[in-house]
Parts: sequence; structure tokens; C-alpha cells
Amino acid sequence: MNLGQLRKIAAEVVAREDVKYLIGWKQGSYGYRIAPGFVEDAAGAAELIFSPLCTANLATYLTLVEKLPVPRGQEADKRKVALMVKGCDSRAVTQLLVEKGIHRDEVVVIGCPCPGMVDPALLTEKYPETEETVEVKWSGDGFLLNRSGEEIKVPRDELLAEKCRLCRYPNPVISDILLGEAVEPWELAEDNGVAEVEGKDVGGRWDYWEEQFAKCVRCYSCRNVCPLCYCQDCILDRLNPTWVNRAVNFSENTSFHIARAFHLAGRCIGCGECERVCPVNIPLGRLNRKLAREVRDKYGFEPGVDPEAEPFQASFKPDDPGDFIL
Amino acid sequence: MTGDNPYIPYTATVEETWFETGGERSIKTFKVVLDDETVRENWSHRPGQCAMIGVLGVGESMISISCSPTEGRFLRFSVMRMGKVTQALHQLEPGDKMMVRGPYGSSFPVDDWHGKQILTIGGGVGQAPLRPIVEYVRANRDQYAGLTMIYGARTSGDLCFKGEFEEMSKCDDLACHLTIDVEEDDWSHNVGFVPQMLLDLNPSPENTIVITCGPPIMIRFVLENLKKLGFADEQIYTTLENRMKCGIGKCGRCNVGGMYVCKDGPVFSYAVLKDIPEAFA
Amino acid sequence: MLLNKDKWPEFVGRLAGKKLLAPQSGGDAVRFAPVSDGEVPMLDFKNTRVPPKQALFPQTETMYRFQLGTEEIELPQLDEETIWLGVRPCDARAMAIVEKLFRWDIDDPYYLKRRELTTLVGLACNEPGLNCFCPSVGGGPASTEGLDLLMIDLDDRYLLEAITPKGEALLDVTGDLLDEVKADAVKEKEKVVSAAEKKIKRTVDTEGVSAGLPGLWEDPLWRRVSAACLGCGTCTYLCPTCHCFDIQDETEGFEARRCRMWDSCMFEEYTVHTSGHNPRPTRRERTRNRINHKYSYYVDKFAVTACVGCGRCVNLCPVNIDIIEILRQVKEAL
Repeated sequence: MNLGQLRKIAAEVVAREDVKYLIGWKQGSYGYRIAPGFVEDAAGAAELIFSPLCTANLATYLTLVEKLPVPRGQEADKRKVALMVKGCDSRAVTQLLVEKGIHRDEVVVIGCPCPGMVDPALLTEKYPETEETVEVKWSGDGFLLNRSGEEIKVPRDELLAEKCRLCRYPNPVISDILLGEAVEPWELAEDNGVAEVEGKDVGGRWDYWEEQFAKCVRCYSCRNVCPLCYCQDCILDRLNPTWVNRAVNFSENTSFHIARAFHLAGRCIGCGECERVCPVNIPLGRLNRKLAREVRDKYGFEPGVDPEAEPFQASFKPDDPGDFIL
Repeated sequence: MTGDNPYIPYTATVEETWFETGGERSIKTFKVVLDDETVRENWSHRPGQCAMIGVLGVGESMISISCSPTEGRFLRFSVMRMGKVTQALHQLEPGDKMMVRGPYGSSFPVDDWHGKQILTIGGGVGQAPLRPIVEYVRANRDQYAGLTMIYGARTSGDLCFKGEFEEMSKCDDLACHLTIDVEEDDWSHNVGFVPQMLLDLNPSPENTIVITCGPPIMIRFVLENLKKLGFADEQIYTTLENRMKCGIGKCGRCNVGGMYVCKDGPVFSYAVLKDIPEAFA
Repeated sequence: MLLNKDKWPEFVGRLAGKKLLAPQSGGDAVRFAPVSDGEVPMLDFKNTRVPPKQALFPQTETMYRFQLGTEEIELPQLDEETIWLGVRPCDARAMAIVEKLFRWDIDDPYYLKRRELTTLVGLACNEPGLNCFCPSVGGGPASTEGLDLLMIDLDDRYLLEAITPKGEALLDVTGDLLDEVKADAVKEKEKVVSAAEKKIKRTVDTEGVSAGLPGLWEDPLWRRVSAACLGCGTCTYLCPTCHCFDIQDETEGFEARRCRMWDSCMFEEYTVHTSGHNPRPTRRERTRNRINHKYSYYVDKFAVTACVGCGRCVNLCPVNIDIIEILRQVKEAL
């Protein structure tokens, strides 16, 4: 994608009277880091980028921003929020529309067709992070790193993020403005992560998740980053009554993660943010993808694809399979 | 680990309870007596201080002690039914056990106020921390130049300690001014907001200390009007409240700026408070 | 004293009898875990994701137990002596800093008892991380504050420096494995430490910050630096000096306990009143409080910054909220 075009369009969008601000990606404070950018003017638009490091799903900010009471005598700011989205991010926007978490006239969706993101963990393992900013670009069938002037070409397969290997929608499914050309969807990889867990017997699966959930520090970054975890009053925070204790141990952590996974079944759009932000590397994507696949295989439902769809967990069809009911 | 654990509450027995107000957010007063004799003898609180009271298995809440130490060897708490803990507290009846730790926080410097006119301005359940001052001053009447009380609530049913006011208005040394927000039948006192009543009464700032407690919006306008009447910052005291857990300055959450409400407060002089940016947030 | 690395397994074996914890690679993230008998921990790590503050301030601590319907309170038994091996100097320093609060005014019995039962064996940093900035906030790669014993890696041997009697006790039980320090080792130590210091690239300038921060209360910088914040607890939970906690009663049948657990000022619920009013209604106020607490309030109260420059919050913030960058903007605004 042409950065000049991106910045020009972003500047035009933020100049619109009906737009409050634009959320996009900008260079972070060092190394490979990318930061969400909240752009209000042309100067801000000039900092925007779109690169294989822009893994963050910014759709979460649509519901994260606090809605403070409007002071008496003032009018609520009804202007739109402009949002840059990749394919997966656009599915989050679509799912929010389906659930009426947001309304279509509240957002300007700027679609960025996505050739696939770099996995930050794989990247830093092979090419350790530096204090200096490192530019990473798509180049042919791979990635191009620019480390202090030294250009390194890395094959796509070596660094491609897991969520992107499994991605069926690299192009935004919804957008008001589409930047650049649509990309050709690629051949899907096998979901080795889910297969690894499925390959274990019940005891093995229990041991696997016990080890994972025991690590959890309950920082709630997985929940907070999730564009579809936007309940004003999360059941997992509630104390009266208390559904999940605040104590941090395997049992409570497991309740937390299972509750979250079930609440996301048929809603998770696979952006992989929960797994990316986890400070203790819990492979939450495996849990969510497993449930997503069950929903797809059993009910033929895929969330975040059709803005006119009925929400999966709120719709019943007489021919829904019931074989899981004991 | 032994007896010096500040997180371990004392056991107390509820002696008497009554409702001050009704409704969804009713206020219930508890008169409790600490069970252990030594603890009871050693307990000493000052007007304005708080205690962590609670029910084992549910939790604890920081509640102001609404009696003066001059009243006897018991404690009084007036608790509004709001959340999990206060709901559990409201279940307590005479004979039940209440867990108590404290007393916590700063107090009104009542002994520095000898010779002064005392003016309390309260709103709703905000009268609870003011009540110990009224009682303390009445018990040490010769030490103070006089006592004026302004107290208001939304309706007459929302006024706490009503029975006591009847008695108080019979004393000539106490000026007791009650007000409610809207007109009611059989209401012989003032109708209007507390800040306006303050202006109407037009008290002289000379040799006077003002203490105000109540909802934040009332405090804001009371402070504004006190300045209009010429009161200096040093003459004005108020109390703050914030979410609290430990009560002893460790858990972190009750800070306003660099101060902990549980340690440096709840009682603050306005001269201190006005420079703390978060104080009226 | 000097310990030849080929005697390391034997040295570790001598510590048996007390519970021993050391950094271990759990999957791909290093964390402190118990060392079982006969196991020899390898100290080839940068730092653990979760700081060893849990040695003295476990994420969940039972304060006392009771049976529902009774008032009899049972205190937990805290009597197990533990050794934490391989604590980085910044993390040990953080524990000393937090201890000031837990000793202030009223002693916190849990924290202080655990400190008494715990021996902290430090390992100086020869290879500081990318976001380390300990020298900017009063520490250093071989700082001894908070430690009982410091180990410095001199390639084929460790230089061991006892800081407290507890550290000396460890040297006593391992005395026959140790050699006296000679001048060459002292020189080597100086070389190693100064080389480590030079590897630290990122810095913050705290001059004037503690006094100046309150004046920046309404500065637009707070909105700027908090706009991307997710409101999660990563920065605070993984911070070695963050020490805020919640207290909750938890019951199982008639068995109940009152316990405390880490809490975070970045959570919306942290300050919300039961009435629903929140004195810190947005991420802006919460971020401002976090920075003020570390760089101003704590300095006023205890004359030390409540940040040791370990870089965890920078490394692990999912949206690149970088405290070094925030401090730079604070300085600029002063």
C-alpha cells in the first residue's frame, strides 16, 4: 500500500466536519513497536503507517472509549470515529454491528487489504529488537526488514503470524473507503495449534490447560483488548453476586477463561489479539478457534462476515443440532 | 503471627438497631458494644474518625463513627444500604455479631476549637460524621462559645437522627436549623437547599469554625457560599470519602493526590484540601 | 567469596532444606518456580516476566480463615523459609522500596514476616535488557539494595557478596566450596559492571519531576499518553514496585477466608464508589495517577521513586505505552 495515499486520505477524513478523530497505526517508541494513533489533524495523519507490524485490532477502541455524562447545557458529540481496519478487524466491526454494539452511522471504516502480519514473537526471536526503529515492509512474497540501513529479506512463511496463516478474509468485509488493491486470499494452513490439543486424550488436555491457566495473572488484557468483550458490567468483575473469585489460582483462572471462551463462541472473529497481548503467553487463540470451528461445522455460522446476520447465540433454528445435549 | 495484626477485626455485639430513613437506600443505625473488655476499655476514638465494620464472609466497609466518645462505651454507625457489605450489615439485629476494626483516620480538632462558635452544615447521611461533634460540644458546653447546626435532606423522611433534634431544639444553647428540598404537609421547618439556607442565616465568620459534610454537589455550593460570607479557608473543615480496603494506608486506592483518605483524612481542613487537585473529583 | 561454576550444582545442593525458587523457562517465558531436589537451575535469563515481588507479596494471600457463622479467626501459618535465587538487582531494590510503605505508620505483618523468612540471592545483570533504565532511577546492574547476597557472573566463576547476615549465613554453609577473593576478581567485577552499565541505552531524566508533576494536572499530555490504554493490569501487575491490593472474602461451603490480592489502579473498578460515582472516570485520570504515584507521591512520602527501571511495563504493554516516553513528555511540559 502506498503510504502517501493512506496519509492523504486520512487527512481528508479527519478534516471532515462529521468526523471526531481517526484511529490508525503509527510508529511506536522503539524497535518493532507500533502504537495506536488517535489522529485529529493533518499532522497526525502524516504519522500513520500500515505495515506487517500493524497486528493490533483497533476496533476495540470503538467500545473502549468512556462515555461520560454530557454536562448540562452541552450537546453530545455525535461525530463519527474513523477506523483503519484489516480484514480481521473489519470482521470485528461487522460483528459489533450485528450485535448493535455500535451503529453504522457512528463509524467511517477505512479498509486496508492485508497481505498478512508478522508474528512479533517469531520476529524478535530471529532478529532481536533494537532501540532504533526497524522498518518492516511487504516485499514480493516475503517481508523486508530495514535494520539501521541493512536490508534483510525474510520468506513469508518464516514470520507469518499464526492467525494470518488461518485467515480466510484478508480483505475488509466492510469499508467506506478501501485503500489500495484487494489481495488474493491464500491457501489456508492446517490449524496445528488446535490439532495439537485435540490430539491429546482427556487427561492430556486437562494437564495442558492446567499448565496454561495456572500461569494466568488475571491482568484482563485478553478481555480488555478483545473488540467483542465490551459489556459495560462484565460478569467476571461482578462481586454481588461473585461468579468468579478474585483469588488467582488454577480453579478461578479456569472459570475466567472458560466463561470468556463461551461468551465468545460464535462471536470471536479470530483477530488473535488476546493471545498477542497475554504477558504470560497463554495460547488463548487455540481455545477460541476450537469453539469457532465447532460453531462453523455444526451450525454453519461464521461471525463478523454479514452485517445483516442474526447474532448466533441469540438465534435458534428448529434444525440446530442438539447432539451435545446430554 | 500474633495479636499485632492490624487486619484482624474485633468482635462486637449489636445492642440496638433502628431505621433512620426508609426506602431502597434506607439508613439503619447500629449501637454496638465491643465484646472483649480490655479492647472496650482501650478503645478511644475522636469525633470524625471511622471504623472498618463488616460481616465475616461478606466483607468490610469504612463507616464513620456517629457517636461521640463522651456518650459512653459503645459505638454507633449509621449505614446506608448500598452494596454487598452494607446489605449484609442491614441484616444484623440486636444480639448479632459485627466485626469492627479501627478507629481510623484523622479527627476534627475539637480541642483546638475551645472558645469558638461551632457551625455544622450537613446533608443527608453526611450528618453522621457531624453528629459526634454536636454531641462532643454539648458534653463540653462550657468550652465552646456556641453551636449552630444546619441540616437538610431531600424529604423529611430522609433526615437522620430526627428524634434527637426534637430534644435538641428544647436546649437554648443549640440553634438547630432543618431544611428539606421540597414542600411537605406538616413540615414546620425551612424548605430549600442547604447552601441557600446558609446564605439566608448569614452567620458571622468571626470566631467561628464551620464543618460541612454531605453530597459533593452540596459541599461545592456550601463552600462557595462560605467564601461569599467571608469565611477563611482555615475556618472550614470537611470530610472526604473514597473506596477503601485496608484502612491503614497500604492498599493504595483511597488516595487523593498524595494523601490517603484513610490516614490523612477523612477530616481535612479546606486550607489543605483546596490544593489537592483530586479532592473534589 | 568466589564460586567456581563447576561447583554450582554442589552449591545449590547445599541450599536444600529451605524452599528454593529460581527462574525457569516455562514454555517461552521465564518465571520463578520451585526447584526440586537435585535440579540445578541455570541462570541464563534476562529477567522473569512476572517479578519476584510475589516472594513477599503473593498475588493472592490468605489473611485469615474462619467458619461461616462463627467469629473465630485462624491465622495462616507463615513459617516456611525460602530462598529466591537469581533475583535481579532492580527487583530486589523494588522490594526494599515497597517495604518502606509496608513499614510506614502501621506494620504490615504479612509482608514483614515474609521478608524475615525469605533470603534474596541476587544476580547482577551483565546483559541488561533493551528497556532497562535502572541507573536513571537510582539503581544499577549490580545494585545490592534489598538483597541478602549478590552474585556477579565473572564468566567461569561467580563473585559472591554477602549484604546481610542472612547472606553471610549462606556463605557459611557453603564455605568449603568458596575461594577467597583476590585482586584480579575485584578488577574483573569492576570491568563487568561498568560494561553492563554502558549497555544500558534508555534513560529518563527525573530532575524536577516529582515537584513538577502536580502542576501538570490538567496538561493535555495525559490524554495523549492514555488514549491507547486498554485499561488492563499488565503494567501494574508486572511492575515490581506496584503494591496495591484488594481484600475479598471467599467462601466454599462453610469454610471461608479473607484474602488480599493484587489490584491495579488502571482498572475502572479500582476507585468506583458503591454509588457508581467514579472519582477517576477515564483512563486519562488513571494513567495520571499511576505516573504521579510512582514519580511524585511516593517521592514526597519516602524520598524514593517508586520505579526501579526494570522496563517490564515498556516491554509488555500491548499498545506501546512507554513510561520512558511519558517521562520525556512530562519533562518537556515542565
